[in-house]
Amino acid sequence: MAIHQVLVSASRGDAVTGFALEIRALLRPLVGSEIFARHIDIGLSAEVYALNRYEREVPPGDVLIYHASIGDPDVSAFLQGRRERLVVVYHNISPAESFAPYEPEFAARLEAGRQELVRLRDRAELTLAVSEFNAADLAAIGFTNVKVSPLIIDPSSLRGEPADDDARRHLDAHVRGPLALYVGQLLPHKRPELLVEALHAVVTYLIPEAHLVLLGPKRLPEFAAAVQRQIVELGLGTAWITGAVTRAELRAYYERADVFVTASDHEGFCVPLIEAMSFDVPVLARGTSAIPETLGGAGLVLDPKDGPLVMGEAWATIVTDAGVRRRLVDGGRRRLAEFDPDAARRQLLENLGEVM
Amino acid sequence: MNPSSSDPATDALIDEIRDRVAERRRSGFYPEGLEEELDSHFQRIVTHRRAVDAERLRDSLQELDARSRFSRRRIPTESKVAGGAVAHKAVGLVTARQTSGVLEQVQGFADGVRATLRLIADALDSPYEHLHSDLLAQLDAVWERLAIWERGPVDSAAAVGDLRRRVEALEAAEQNRRFSPTWSADAFEARFRGTGDDLKERYRDLAERVAGYAPVLDVGCGRGEFIELLAGYGAAARGVEIDPALAEDGRRRGLDVATGDGVRHLAAQPDGSLGAVVLLQVAEHLMPQQVIDLVATALEKVREGGLLLIETVNPQSLYTFAHAFYLDPTHTNPIHPAYLEFVVRQSGWPQVAIEWRSPPAAHELLEAEPEDSAVAAANIDRLNRLLFGPQDYALVAFK
Repeated sequence: MAIHQVLVSASRGDAVTGFALEIRALLRPLVGSEIFARHIDIGLSAEVYALNRYEREVPPGDVLIYHASIGDPDVSAFLQGRRERLVVVYHNISPAESFAPYEPEFAARLEAGRQELVRLRDRAELTLAVSEFNAADLAAIGFTNVKVSPLIIDPSSLRGEPADDDARRHLDAHVRGPLALYVGQLLPHKRPELLVEALHAVVTYLIPEAHLVLLGPKRLPEFAAAVQRQIVELGLGTAWITGAVTRAELRAYYERADVFVTASDHEGFCVPLIEAMSFDVPVLARGTSAIPETLGGAGLVLDPKDGPLVMGEAWATIVTDAGVRRRLVDGGRRRLAEFDPDAARRQLLENLGEVM
Repeated sequence: MNPSSSDPATDALIDEIRDRVAERRRSGFYPEGLEEELDSHFQRIVTHRRAVDAERLRDSLQELDARSRFSRRRIPTESKVAGGAVAHKAVGLVTARQTSGVLEQVQGFADGVRATLRLIADALDSPYEHLHSDLLAQLDAVWERLAIWERGPVDSAAAVGDLRRRVEALEAAEQNRRFSPTWSADAFEARFRGTGDDLKERYRDLAERVAGYAPVLDVGCGRGEFIELLAGYGAAARGVEIDPALAEDGRRRGLDVATGDGVRHLAAQPDGSLGAVVLLQVAEHLMPQQVIDLVATALEKVREGGLLLIETVNPQSLYTFAHAFYLDPTHTNPIHPAYLEFVVRQSGWPQVAIEWRSPPAAHELLEAEPEDSAVAAANIDRLNRLLFGPQDYALVAFK
């Protein structure tokens, strides 16, 4: 028996690819298992097959696991043309409307992804969602046999990484006040502009030397430029947009951070929250999508209706009130203890047992 | 685990934070409409990034192209009147030459108009070439920032925090400059300066000369010995002294002595109201800028023909450094006579002279033996001048 997996794109550090590699490692002792992708990062060409090599070079499997996160006409056509039993793993699809003003083509791919997902609804024998939030999302478009299979999270993984010395020195030299860190792609639905607005309130009225670092790839250059311009026009010398960084640099930023902040409207799961907690960084977030589920009671979760002033006050409170900070850090540690990678693996195998 | 579970203490904290924000909004700590302003600011940035939509302009240009081939043949000749069409055609033929001439001119004009419109459409298509919308966006940004400044609180935490830091840094610097010994000025004077009578003896000659320039202000008057001397000559004199204990001592002896900074006290006097300003062994305690300020202020405050007398340690005499000068740790700035003369002249004092005072006792000097060569004697003389020059000098300036 063989169970193969199909992704739209495979890249290092990407949560979807990481989950596929975990699944392959779990399956390989039991059955044959390979990964196929339409787009493959250079660093992964030894691990992942190009999609057009399926059947030509690798014999077809009995079951296909498809990871849904964005649309792709080739992948869609491929899946439509296959007769293997199908498992869909749903990683959530970002809301297309937030991309439309900046990159209509990408927005169209997201929209197509949603429609392709609907077309697979009746073919999928089993559907796995990586969070309760995603499961509810699937239920809303008519999926019935949905099981939650949490991501296999090892909270200590980033701690095993050495911290980048240059990044450390840079932070030591240039950051005097409390540092708030956001980690994630700089995209409209992550609402980085709300963090910049909150920083304006913090710096102007509460803590003049407060810093904000927005760390993560600038997926939409035009949107990143708009946020940069917002920062410049508000005169915020202590807000930086770093762009993509290495794991070692990421670790240096987590080590220095006094609070993790996110105003995101949409997260299928939110790995950076776990990373922040693993560095004892208290989390401040808005209670949207899968964020409350990911935090599981840890962190300070604001109502989405709370504006930048409430966020700014909460931010200032966390970095100045040692008691509050202590409580949030303890909450984070309790939450981390609930992540058990082995239990997640067992759960995944149990779920997949249905098609094996 | 229950994803919606949250810590009651955390919920209470969030409520507390919301209440605080509401309170600060009410009190004006946060200016009214701040959040809306921040939101519309970002919206403006995002919407200004949209390019000009020139598509409709292009469409209507194309339509214009299709309609701009003028021809005599497109002039209708049909008619509802019998034989009308024939008549129209006949007239058309007869006037063909004129009609074609007019159409040619119209065609030329239409081509020109279309070329111009195309240029305008191109310019709209590439805004970066004429920067129009970008400039507008930047103007908007400047207006908005100006509005934020104008509406912002003048006592914002940031501004106040910044000022506080600067003041603290200045205070710390000032603290470092301050000299506050554990002994009293009396104890120091008693040990090193000699008695009041010694001082009077030393300054009698100067008092005699200054007495004719009443009223005299003695800046840094100490216990007021010089004022007493002047009183002995019937001259009105008063003093200002920064050390409260010394000033008090003078007042107890019935002298007119104010406590405070000499330059400031001098500046507070009416212009031309003084006969003389005197500083005896004071200038070497002052900062260079204070000396300059004092000399300039004194010129304003003494009347025409009035006098400025500055007596201070002579740094040209090495003897002074071995003896008097470093006995007092507040002697921070010895002043070269040539420099002081320069300062006083630069301030506008028209007559300036330097007088040498307090030569070391004759027995301190190196002696030449009669059998010494002329060269050795000359050398000894040069050494004496270098090592044992006068310990003080007095600068005397007249207005």
